[in-house]
Amino acid sequence: MLSFLFPSSRRVLACLIALSSACAQAESWPGEDWSSQLVAPSTAISALDSYAFPARDETTRKGVRTDALLVIRDGQVVYERYAEPTSAATPHLGWSMAKSILATTMGVAYGQGLFKLDAPVADYYPPFSAHPQIKVGHLLNWASGLDWQEDYEYAPLKSSVVAMLYTRGRSDMAAFTAAHTADAEPGARFRYSSGDTNVLSAALKGMVGEAAYANYPWTALFNPLGIKSAVWETDAAGTFVGSSYLYMTARDLARVGLLMQREGRWGEQQVLPKAWVEFNRTPFANYQPQADKPNESVPGGQWWLNVPMAGARKPWPDAPSNTLVASGHWGQGLYVLPDEKLVIVRYADDRDGSFDRNHFLKLVLAATATEVQP
Amino acid sequence: MIRRRPFSALLLLILLLLAALGWQNRAHLQAFPGIIGAYSAKEYCSCRYVANNPAQYCEAYVAQYVPLSGFFDDVAHKRVTARGLGRTQSAQWLNPRQGCQLLAEPTVLPPS
Repeated sequence: MLSFLFPSSRRVLACLIALSSACAQAESWPGEDWSSQLVAPSTAISALDSYAFPARDETTRKGVRTDALLVIRDGQVVYERYAEPTSAATPHLGWSMAKSILATTMGVAYGQGLFKLDAPVADYYPPFSAHPQIKVGHLLNWASGLDWQEDYEYAPLKSSVVAMLYTRGRSDMAAFTAAHTADAEPGARFRYSSGDTNVLSAALKGMVGEAAYANYPWTALFNPLGIKSAVWETDAAGTFVGSSYLYMTARDLARVGLLMQREGRWGEQQVLPKAWVEFNRTPFANYQPQADKPNESVPGGQWWLNVPMAGARKPWPDAPSNTLVASGHWGQGLYVLPDEKLVIVRYADDRDGSFDRNHFLKLVLAATATEVQP
Repeated sequence: MIRRRPFSALLLLILLLLAALGWQNRAHLQAFPGIIGAYSAKEYCSCRYVANNPAQYCEAYVAQYVPLSGFFDDVAHKRVTARGLGRTQSAQWLNPRQGCQLLAEPTVLPPS
């Protein structure tokens, strides 16, 4: 009895010492909606505004074109701005950010013991029996070794991803990927591939069962987090296009960010095993940074990292090295900065390469730095 | 032949190389013209009926260097059809969770 009481009385003592702060202030979580504690106007906010939201030219489509920018600090909205026609109610296309959300959805299945990282993909997705050596973990690291060409506009003829989404692969994207030959050992080499992700999406069907699959992202992840705006398009085979086609509002996507910031916990519920978030955060061991592309983020488990690898500097020098990122075509980004307790959602329509993520993060950090109390 | 007609020989060689390259990439080449119609139909459908953006915005959003030769948004059925490089493709809005999907068989474009 005493031993049972002792820790709690110690906690009471700790509370008395800390008085107002730790005990009185409960952790902030969004309920039906987020609460706001907007940062006061400042020169740093103006600098962020003018970088992220310059005048838009819809004819040339040049320059930085932010559609939505939402910053959450410690569970509350501190900055929010939209460019028409995007609004707080718009379920915006996230493009490849879907990959990270698919991995997060899979994390729930992982916690339910429905699959193992070192099991062959073919155990869950039989058409992959042609590639018996490829494990689930390889796909999560984009290291299947399949001969895949991930180019969008610049090489449309031989782009595997364009063929997958729009022509030869569109009716069954996982099967289209499975039909590719291997040109490297599984796990030996990182090669970014939307095909790898869509095979994961098809494997998830085998993991959770056909009947549960169509609602699984909702029952496993979206409903517990209170996400109501999500739309996840499927191919004709009924497989979620995990690589590309997930839509939700900026405020809903920020919920996924807060879940990751708090190591997979949502309120009292550990939605994702901590070990899964740790896996998302672990850089792919055989990743080789490219000297000519020093700003390319480092692949983790379907999430992107800002860690220095193999003698290279960290990709975004002005952001913390434990920044966790979901990243998509045309400037989409979900950034989680655990130490700063920041979650940043940026939806965009950047059609050229002028958007500088490092500079952007530097501006957000300056604009939302905790005000020094007098 | 090469000495007497150097240019014709070179042209023939280039044509032969192109033919070989074309044969090697036949699957890619055959699918290629379908991209523009499929991209436009699918992304317009999602822009309009998933993200709920205005029609005018979505037209500009999907615009590419290759122009469309036909386009029809069947608002009543939320079915979008686009024609480019001689190929027609349709996308259909399915339901509030699944959004839009390309159809196996395109809808015939109404006469313009």
